[in-house]
Amino acid sequence: MRALPGKASRQPPGPEPVSRAAAAADQRRRILEATAELIAEQGYVNTTIEQIVRRARIGYATFYKHYVDKQEAFLALMDAAVERTVYVVEEAYDREDGPWPDKVGAGLGALLQQCAAHPAVARACLVEAPTAGPEAAARHEAALKRFEPLLRPGRELNPRSDRLPDTLEDTLVGGVLWVINQRLIAGEEAKLRALLPEALEFLLRPYVGEDVAAREAGGAEAASA
Amino acid sequence: MADEETLGPLPAGRHGFTREQVEHNQRERLIAGLATAVAERGYTAVTITDITKGARVSRRVFYANFESKEECFLAAFEVVVGHICELAAAAGEGAEDWPGRAIAASRTVLAFFAAEPDLARLCLVESQSAGPAVSARFHEAVHDVVPYLEQGRAERQGARELPPTTEESTLGALVMLASRKVAAGEAEKLEELLPDFAEFILAPYLGAEEATRLAQS
Repeated sequence: MRALPGKASRQPPGPEPVSRAAAAADQRRRILEATAELIAEQGYVNTTIEQIVRRARIGYATFYKHYVDKQEAFLALMDAAVERTVYVVEEAYDREDGPWPDKVGAGLGALLQQCAAHPAVARACLVEAPTAGPEAAARHEAALKRFEPLLRPGRELNPRSDRLPDTLEDTLVGGVLWVINQRLIAGEEAKLRALLPEALEFLLRPYVGEDVAAREAGGAEAASA
Repeated sequence: MADEETLGPLPAGRHGFTREQVEHNQRERLIAGLATAVAERGYTAVTITDITKGARVSRRVFYANFESKEECFLAAFEVVVGHICELAAAAGEGAEDWPGRAIAASRTVLAFFAAEPDLARLCLVESQSAGPAVSARFHEAVHDVVPYLEQGRAERQGARELPPTTEESTLGALVMLASRKVAAGEAEKLEELLPDFAEFILAPYLGAEEATRLAQS
């Protein structure tokens, strides 16, 4: 905020003015929040810049200062959400110093919690992204691939590891994504965290067998209760 | 689903078809027109004009049959899903036990999508992006398969119950895997996934070793 002529020495009333950079960051945050909410509510195709601008309570000029179009705003949202989520999941996985199944449980728990805490962003990026053109679909696909390295070490625990299909990690990530999507579509984000034991058993079973997977799932259930 | 050859334009003048037959035919042509247009341009970009041009009918005929592009897509989706269900049921009839039925049905569905990459894209990829009503119907159609998988529970040894979301996760996993293949333009490779599909479906019920044995045979 610039001081009025002749009043440069006077302190502006009220709270300290925010810096230009902080104001721009706040605008972007509001645009992306509005984009996520609208796309979660009505799909990518039906969302317009007019709606985003209204929901974010900014002007058109402000929107176009940051993003050239709806797609760019959505891709920015996806990039931020994917980075944040992968970071949170990897961090939980690494911090757990128990054996590999415990690490998977920690990572999965963090993923479910992240989705439950930000259901609109999760729905926009997980459910609606494959709808939002080739670039968004490619980013969605790339995001799923980021979780595979966390599962792959499970192969070493399997005595028949040479028989495990190459597509196993792809398949498992898809299965967990599917059940998460189902809850998000139904508006049941409150039930996401309760999926932990079942989804964990689903992820572990092909690597360590049903008995160990079920025991781990039971442990996860007890720990979250 | 009928192709161009069987869905050519009706000859002008007296063709001996009843009004119902002509109307039914127009509806089928519109559905085929949508399938072609979606395959070429993607659902989002498709216009009503693309559909009516492909179907060689007027806009008035389109709106007499469907309220919107979405409704036309839903109709196309139903036709394809209905057809796949019939194929899968017929394939399962030849098998003598549940694992055999599951494998036969999987093989048939994969073969259908591999032979019809445009319809595979419509069903598995575009349906997820064609608005909330279509995506809800897509998830419902997948959910309809759950009871067939649940029959596998009778095959299990030991008293422990599988978690209730087992079938949902398994189906979701396979649908996601197939749709990612199709989205990558590799629908024709879907049949290669059969052993992986079969093993993944059977393993929770029969154990990993038996599942691998049956899947490879």
